[in-house]
Amino acid sequence: MITARTSEIAPKDRALRGIDGSRATLKKTLLVCAILFTALVVVIIFMALLGSEKLPTQASLCALFTFGKSSCGLTGDQDAILFDIRLPRILLGAAVGGSLAVAGASYQSLLRNPLAEPYLLGISNGAAVGTMIALVFMGAYEWSRPLMAFSGALIATLVVYRLAQGRTGATPERLILAGVIVTTFLSSAIVFVTTLMDATRIRSFTFWLLGDLSGTTTKLLWLGLFIAIAGTIVLAAHARSLNLLMLGERDAFDLGVEVSRVRLVVFIVASLLVGSSVASSGSVGYVGLVVPHLVRLSLGSDNRITVPAAAICGAIFVVVADTIARTIIAPRELPVGAITALIGAPLFVYLLRRR
Amino acid sequence: MLKRHLLPFQTSGARRRVFTVLLCLGLLVAACSKPNSNKTDSQLGFHQTIDEAGRTITVPDTVTRFISLAPSLTEIVYAIGAGEGLVGRTTYCTYPPEAQKVEAVGDTLKPSIERIIALRPQIVFVSTASQLEAFTNELEAHHIAVYVADSHDLEGVFHSIERVAEVLGKRTQADELLKQLRARVSFVAERVKSQPPVRVFYQVSDEPLYTIGRDAFITDLIKRAGGVSVTADIPGAWPKYSAESALAAKPEAIILPTGGSMGNANSNVASALKRSPAVISGRVYKVNDDHLSRPGPRAVDGLEDLARALHPEVFTK
Repeated sequence: MITARTSEIAPKDRALRGIDGSRATLKKTLLVCAILFTALVVVIIFMALLGSEKLPTQASLCALFTFGKSSCGLTGDQDAILFDIRLPRILLGAAVGGSLAVAGASYQSLLRNPLAEPYLLGISNGAAVGTMIALVFMGAYEWSRPLMAFSGALIATLVVYRLAQGRTGATPERLILAGVIVTTFLSSAIVFVTTLMDATRIRSFTFWLLGDLSGTTTKLLWLGLFIAIAGTIVLAAHARSLNLLMLGERDAFDLGVEVSRVRLVVFIVASLLVGSSVASSGSVGYVGLVVPHLVRLSLGSDNRITVPAAAICGAIFVVVADTIARTIIAPRELPVGAITALIGAPLFVYLLRRR
Repeated sequence: MLKRHLLPFQTSGARRRVFTVLLCLGLLVAACSKPNSNKTDSQLGFHQTIDEAGRTITVPDTVTRFISLAPSLTEIVYAIGAGEGLVGRTTYCTYPPEAQKVEAVGDTLKPSIERIIALRPQIVFVSTASQLEAFTNELEAHHIAVYVADSHDLEGVFHSIERVAEVLGKRTQADELLKQLRARVSFVAERVKSQPPVRVFYQVSDEPLYTIGRDAFITDLIKRAGGVSVTADIPGAWPKYSAESALAAKPEAIILPTGGSMGNANSNVASALKRSPAVISGRVYKVNDDHLSRPGPRAVDGLEDLARALHPEVFTK
């Protein structure tokens, strides 16, 4: 009994010490973020040079550094390829990757489950069903897509959360089972909605369902970037509460965390993040799983660092994966979700075996 | 009735004919009482042929009941005057209008095997475009012959018409039809012969961007209409295409297949192509996708649509 109690106090202690050292953590967070952000910018610039069409490297770099103000000898078409096609797609990839990774990181802390991830929990599928309903029945309204995706993600989140709450609390296995049930149910819903569509559109939808960054509007891109950045800031601001929630909801409550409020904030913000990324690019899988875990492996599990770091690393991961998707069989393309899953699934197995 | 079935077998004497009738009856009874044995196929009332997928199939000599699982094949069947034997079609088979009176057995992607078997067809026509390989095996397990049509260019479409007509015993009608179609094709060829080919981007869908590749028969139609598809060398029939490559190819004209029985989807040019020469010079053409997506007799209508769009100057009426 006594040993059990002491071992219970120890992590609390550590968490409390974490609060005392918050200034030191802030410094570390800023340093880590600065380094990672520089890496992201370098990756974006480098990936902007790669594509199915070869652009002159020096001229492209020059144009990128002047933010397109000077064409640096690029022809009109090359300029359009770089700034109207490639860069928006890369930025969308960054927004989607950041959104999904942050959503995954906060689900994992909140639900105290290392396997929690928008795709595996069926939340991406919820957003996908919402998007497809918007496309089939509300095609005329551009904003119906992200709005319905958000609603779908939120409903799926709440259903999975409810299903996972057993008499003995939410075990990791129960949560994953709930996710499987919701995922398969929503997959059937997707099949049902596709039968309501034109035959010619079904092919493009199956592609989109696997995650595809090629087709988006400028408005959705800006919305995606805004939600990714705002969502990361909001969730990073709740990182201390998320740290304490990793001890369990009751302990967190005893330590002064407004558990139900934090839970609601995380659910809404994460649903917004997943909804906006699915509305613009379908379900890109495994990002929310792979990225937070890699970040924790290298930087520890303090959410004050993990949440913002996961956002930037997620952005890097998807930008690189999408560059592979759009160049490997150029000028044809693969869905980016296929690449993230190819990298993510083996890593997932590795993480499962390590537990 | 039975005698007419046997007519293709030219026998010498009356005795032999009676014998044949009896033998045939016997075999029929045997076939009916033991539906699992198909030993009897090859001898009488059936012959072997090779379909367009290169499969050897056993088809009845006289076909009176059949099903088409592709809009293009339904159109071929009616164009050669064999429509009265059609007992089943897909929901996409909407042309000619009389086809809509025939019972639908589901859509091209998910036809109902139960309904097909219940309709007792002697043969089912499918197209490789409908991706029904697994389905084909299931039908053959139920002793229903499956003819697979597979055309990658206009000659292939004409070949399909010829072969389907052979199976259905409508060879003369098909020859007449093909004569007319070929005349229209050479009329177009004559007109566009002296015109410089127009570089065409064919947009199957804008988001994500799909186009036509090497194996699509539309690639051939564009060539015959006095154009050249900028994606003519891309492997596959319907590749997902890089937006930047589409722009870099500098298409002089963009074709949007839209407005047919599938509705008005795909009526906007992909945003990435807004700066292409085609859009700048206003050379974006909407063409009825029913003419272009169905490798049947109306493909020639599609050819004329394309030629008129690409070379309006030689088609003034």
